[in-house]
Amino acid sequence: MPTVPETDVVGEWICAPGADEIVTGSARYCPDIKLPGMLTGKLLYSPYARARVKKLDVTKARNLPGVHAVITHTDIPGENSYLYGHPDQPLLVVDEVRFQGDAVAAVAAIDAETADAALQMIEVEYEEFAGQFDPHLVMQPGAEQVLPVEENDLLFQTYKNGDVDAAIASADVVVKNTYRTQWAEHAFLETEGGVALVDQAGLLTVYSSCQAPHRDRMQIARALALPESSVRVITPYIGGAFGGKDEAHVQMHVALLAQATGLPVSLIRDRRESILTHVKRHPVLVECVTGATKDGQLVAVKARVIGDAGPYSNATHEVLNKLGEFIGGPYTVQNVEVQKIGVRTNNPITGAFRGFGAPQAAFVYECQMDDIARKLGMDPLDIRLKNGVDTGTRMYTGVVVREGTGMKASLKKAAEMIDWQQRGRCDRQPDKHLRRGFGMATILKGCGLGRGLGDHASVILEMHRDGSVVLRSAAADMGQGIVTVLAQLAADGLGVELSSVRVIRADTAQSPDAGASCGSRQTMVSGNAVIEAANSIRDTLLTLAAMKTKVSKDELELKGGKLFVNGECHTMTVRDLAERASNWGYPLHAESLVHFDYPTNVPDVTYKYSQEVFQFCTQIAQVLVDIETGQVVVERLVAVHDVGKMINPGGVYGQIEGGVAQGIGYALSEELIVEDGITQNPSLENYIIPMALDLPPIEMAVLENPEPRGAPLGAKGVAEAPIIPTASAIRNAILDATGTPLYQLPMNPERVLKTIS
Amino acid sequence: MTDKAVQFSVNGDPRSIEADTTKTLLQVLRDDLELTGTKDGCSSGDCGACVVLVDGRAENSCMILAPQADGSEISTVEGLAGDGELHPLQKAFAETWAFQCGFCTPGMLMSCFALLETNADPSREDILTAIAGNFCRCTGYQAVVKAVQQAAAEIRGADRA
Amino acid sequence: MDVPAYIAPATLKDALRLKSEAGAHARVIAGGTDLILKMRDQALSPDLLIDLQNISLDTIALETDHIAIGASVTHSQLLASPDINSLYPALIEACREFAGPPIRNRGTIGGNIVNASPAADLVPSLVAYDAHIQLASSSDVREVALAEFFVGPGQTIMAPNEILTEIRLAIMPPASATTFIKLGQRRSMAISMVSVATRLTIDDEGSFSDVRIVLGSVAPTPVRARAAEELLTGVAPSKELLERAAVKAGAEVTPISDVRASDSYRNNMVEVLVQRALRANLEELRLRLPSD
Repeated sequence: MPTVPETDVVGEWICAPGADEIVTGSARYCPDIKLPGMLTGKLLYSPYARARVKKLDVTKARNLPGVHAVITHTDIPGENSYLYGHPDQPLLVVDEVRFQGDAVAAVAAIDAETADAALQMIEVEYEEFAGQFDPHLVMQPGAEQVLPVEENDLLFQTYKNGDVDAAIASADVVVKNTYRTQWAEHAFLETEGGVALVDQAGLLTVYSSCQAPHRDRMQIARALALPESSVRVITPYIGGAFGGKDEAHVQMHVALLAQATGLPVSLIRDRRESILTHVKRHPVLVECVTGATKDGQLVAVKARVIGDAGPYSNATHEVLNKLGEFIGGPYTVQNVEVQKIGVRTNNPITGAFRGFGAPQAAFVYECQMDDIARKLGMDPLDIRLKNGVDTGTRMYTGVVVREGTGMKASLKKAAEMIDWQQRGRCDRQPDKHLRRGFGMATILKGCGLGRGLGDHASVILEMHRDGSVVLRSAAADMGQGIVTVLAQLAADGLGVELSSVRVIRADTAQSPDAGASCGSRQTMVSGNAVIEAANSIRDTLLTLAAMKTKVSKDELELKGGKLFVNGECHTMTVRDLAERASNWGYPLHAESLVHFDYPTNVPDVTYKYSQEVFQFCTQIAQVLVDIETGQVVVERLVAVHDVGKMINPGGVYGQIEGGVAQGIGYALSEELIVEDGITQNPSLENYIIPMALDLPPIEMAVLENPEPRGAPLGAKGVAEAPIIPTASAIRNAILDATGTPLYQLPMNPERVLKTIS
Repeated sequence: MTDKAVQFSVNGDPRSIEADTTKTLLQVLRDDLELTGTKDGCSSGDCGACVVLVDGRAENSCMILAPQADGSEISTVEGLAGDGELHPLQKAFAETWAFQCGFCTPGMLMSCFALLETNADPSREDILTAIAGNFCRCTGYQAVVKAVQQAAAEIRGADRA
Repeated sequence: MDVPAYIAPATLKDALRLKSEAGAHARVIAGGTDLILKMRDQALSPDLLIDLQNISLDTIALETDHIAIGASVTHSQLLASPDINSLYPALIEACREFAGPPIRNRGTIGGNIVNASPAADLVPSLVAYDAHIQLASSSDVREVALAEFFVGPGQTIMAPNEILTEIRLAIMPPASATTFIKLGQRRSMAISMVSVATRLTIDDEGSFSDVRIVLGSVAPTPVRARAAEELLTGVAPSKELLERAAVKAGAEVTPISDVRASDSYRNNMVEVLVQRALRANLEELRLRLPSD
């Protein structure tokens, strides 16, 4: 893999390239884009979870002065469907609405008021009928289908390794539990939106708050029956995503409106619409049996997972697949059987959300671990160390864990930080109604998409004659900081200062496909592409420098814009070399395409789409439980992350802290309350996310054990791990404090109190 | 209903806008005055993305009808930097990575600015209380505490000089 | 939102005249944080908004036997008032836990009362302090006990031509202690699941007098748990009695289940919180009574 000489900016606390724009308020997000003649777009959404559309008449709405277009499914020139994996979700419904958030019509008008009035004037006659809300009922033979032609079980797969039943039968201790998790909402602060315009040459440009600009482009072209060469997708600043903007949202709708009106159109969802219409984290019901020896060695894990897909498949296959891949945890257990069932309902649609099945899996396996530990009278730390994977461990999926594995190191470090061995000395009962406890969880999450899935990214890097650099990457930055990371890698790779590098944010007309910003993949895949491209240009510069100085290339170094000959600063600078190259016609640009494909022809590896580069992480929570109210306060949270190599410390710590905050919310209070498919709390007032006074100080440590084979400078992804163990750590701490195990999320006061009593 | 002329000052500049009760101060700032730094996260006063200062007090601009702003002095994020120099808060936020996606940042900055106007040496608890109405989904709040204390120290140092 | 007309009169007299003329078609707006949400949800569609901001109703004046709080005093102003801090700690606690700074800077005590939410954060404490409110009209000013002001969710006995102008709290007897406890789903920006304000006073004989146990979010309006109060009135203080009063209070209400909490949890929490609040009152009194 490409190597880079001693780093300069990588690993340092630097300001993000866009920091000035953000703190002065000049950073432009989709809602900030204003174009001459721009119309306001809005969508009409179904108020019902399930209903036939008996009549849909937009005539009156179309005739309202100030309305430029009203679109229904008959007005879509291309394919009337999203295409994340399967084309079963319509852009605009044809004859049936299947969840409270199915889009019925789209309007473009001169302003928001007129667009609202137009929505009111669309005549829709719904015939509500009984929806399917219980996955168990939907799975029964003969149950009514949620989608015509399609089976209700959109996924029914069992993975098996070893002889699970025999292992369980001979186990010394068996723990069997049923786990339930909830619908969770991303609550990115900038709601979904897009701005579309068609120019005189017929080029359609869509500014999109998204995670996958090239995939958006494909979907837009497909829906509008345009060649992709006529479609351009640009990401301005994006106000958070966390997986919720991976699948397309309003991009095709706003593009259709721009195409229909010939004018620029801005379509931004309001908060209520956002919560009702975009995908949620899959709620799952998991029955899990775990067997172990009396010494605490895990011998078998058998799980049955039922995930609620909502009516459309979106990412259900992929999420449940990932959940199953990790159901055995970061442990050496070989006998693992997991049945993954994804079921259609008329509940909210579900899809990608940071962790992608791993948080749900972790809740199961880490709670099982503590239950087993308690039965055996074992320390939760010891049982995890006993079963933990090391470099070279062959996991139940057949995957061999690679070098740079920080699993046990993260356990030990976290234990040290919270003084685990001394935890018994703390005041366990500071008041008659209060109980204090400690709990841990250790997890793994794969980086990248997975074996068999094309995982690649390109980047274009160019140095100008004055030494300034332009980096063109279509890796969408939704706040996770990929722009900063790539700029750092480019700066060090080329031997220039960070301020010399200008990153052009994702723009499909300027940058080749970098794939989606998901699966903790961009630092690895796009990062490698940047290093490779930088090396190519660097090589040119060094060749010229060698010619000039009459010294061999390996005695030369470029750093911070300067040239060093055997460690000594030379009068020639990078700028001089660039000018030379430019004059003489040496190429100073490079396009690099990197594949991060895991090998597919490994016969031992039996798990589909499995991964080999893992983020490991251990979190330990100290909680105070009020046993009269059920309230749980997290007093301390220690998070230790194995990141391989920390390229951008500011970003890494931000990702950890932000992810842990989301994890605490997922653990204790966040829950979309859905009754017969209707969401009862579609607002930030009633969907309870922890705020500044609700969070403990989060104590973070980062372990750098470089992953030498695939990762850029050894850096793995860190985006998802932080949210994965938190709920389990808190649950285990509550168990330690009260002696009561919980098996359902969120562990809100009422649920905690009920379980304790 | 006829629009009423609403007169107020924004970042020191006197402004006059025709607006009725269908518009909020947030919409006037973003649409009429094209000051898009202040953001709309929820339109219901729950997230703090729209916080501006009204006569020195941090308030949700999405919850103020345009006519109510008549006679007020409004301060937005666009007015924080002066003489081409970033305010110490802005610098500190950038240096401590007190944001990632940045959407909450304008509102967060204004809440912190309001705090520093009345408290030159805020404690961690003071800062967390001051931002308890500002929602950040990306980064959490520890880095904001660090940034505010760093900025406060810089301002105190400059004041002494 | 429909388009209400807007006016910000210069005097209270003008405001009262306008309100008298428009009656129920007009709503008075101060901060507006509740009113604007109701207008957005189309729960309210006034034709006219009468803004009080130019009228000086934002003073806090300590008189000999009461404190007078103008209806336009904001939560932040209450928090900053030395008199309120020293004399009405339960009101301060309620303000502290109310929403977040931007809403506290804007929302007024009058608004919190007139909005008449069953979960109104300030009301339990105010009722515990025997608050009386002044309702002014063009022709008259009447004083009403706050405890009798509420009729149902969003509904009060205020007449369409009236404006709430002032809140008066009596000076508490020296041997009295008050507490406010809010059970919210998070520490800021939360509508309470249950809230409780209690007051205990010890009379010259060393018995409880002036017992107030006021509950929020467990009935259509904030309510006094009268049976529980009676249990404690005129008797010698004891921990066991406090427990019984708490149980009684919990049984006195039939709350609803909603997205925040179930009815049974609320009943349970009334008992727990009343118990805690009364204990805190007793602790405080014991500390202050030299005879104990």
